[in-house]
Amino acid sequence: MIDQHTLDAVLAGDQAAWDVTVKRLTPLVWSAVRAYGLSTADAADAVQGTWLRLVESLHTVRDPARIGAWLFTTARREACLVRRRTRGERPVADPADPPGPAETWHPHADPALAVVVADEGRRLWGVVESMHEPCRSLLRLMAAAPEAGVLQLAGRLGMPPGSYGPTRARCLNRLRSLLTAEETASAAPPPTGRGTAP
Amino acid sequence: MTAGPHRPDDECLIAALHLAAGRDPAPDHVAAAARAAFSLRLPGAVTARRAAVPAPSGVRADDRARLLRFGTGDLTVDLEVDAADGLIDLAGQVSPCQEAGTWVEVRTPCLTESRVLSAAGRFAVTGLPPGWFSVVCHREDRPPVATSWTRIRP
Repeated sequence: MIDQHTLDAVLAGDQAAWDVTVKRLTPLVWSAVRAYGLSTADAADAVQGTWLRLVESLHTVRDPARIGAWLFTTARREACLVRRRTRGERPVADPADPPGPAETWHPHADPALAVVVADEGRRLWGVVESMHEPCRSLLRLMAAAPEAGVLQLAGRLGMPPGSYGPTRARCLNRLRSLLTAEETASAAPPPTGRGTAP
Repeated sequence: MTAGPHRPDDECLIAALHLAAGRDPAPDHVAAAARAAFSLRLPGAVTARRAAVPAPSGVRADDRARLLRFGTGDLTVDLEVDAADGLIDLAGQVSPCQEAGTWVEVRTPCLTESRVLSAAGRFAVTGLPPGWFSVVCHREDRPPVATSWTRIRP
């Protein structure tokens, strides 16, 4: 996502290189945060904190390939804290610092990242398209209308509002299982006989 | 959520679906704030991380949430946070005692306030906007110490 040349320029204080970094990685950070159901204002706050933490930790960055993973993990953490607060937990300041990048800057520190990198998007949608209803429509609609509330989404899917949450949870579970099964299949050695799983 | 080592949690799947769908771009002001964050870079600064605040006797847990401590090996910044009318007041103490002329900056993404430490190492800033802030302690002949960015809401 970011090459060594860009990282070197950022570390040397080049604002233009930083702007490139922001442009490339903002969609990842924004999506990570919005998945927590935050309002635009709260999501913006969590995203800003994520970038401030990167600025604070820049001097420890060596490998540009790891910046995306770190930002993704940090954004999820910030969003999680904001969501807890909006649900009524009430510390004035957010508790404890996240681990410094030196401890977490492993490319696969957050296995979740594999799902969101660009090349995986097509595979992900391929799996969604193979799913039965109502999951296929529900997941499509959820992604296409990120601002829509439960009432609206449930209405468009023709289900009672109370069913939306549990159905979504089941569909996400199903999607997770299908992705895991696909990964297992692609990682397994070629079958040597009959009777392999479909 | 049933996230195992290779099982992304719900939020991760939702993030991936949103990202791949490309239907929820970040608002311009979000990217603008991210670009502007670079101006808050402080090369050479030492980061003071959040540390546990020991419980003074007679202080309720709810009040302790308003006390923040940040530390490096040789310097501690204690902050008391107060919120009034939607704005934030900070009262701080830097210890151990620093030499005369040591000063602090309280930085937010939109404004910075500077204060010279009192002889006892104290400082105060009132009327800060809610959101992210960091306190930077500038000392003679030593690198500045900056508290890790912390978010405060009234």
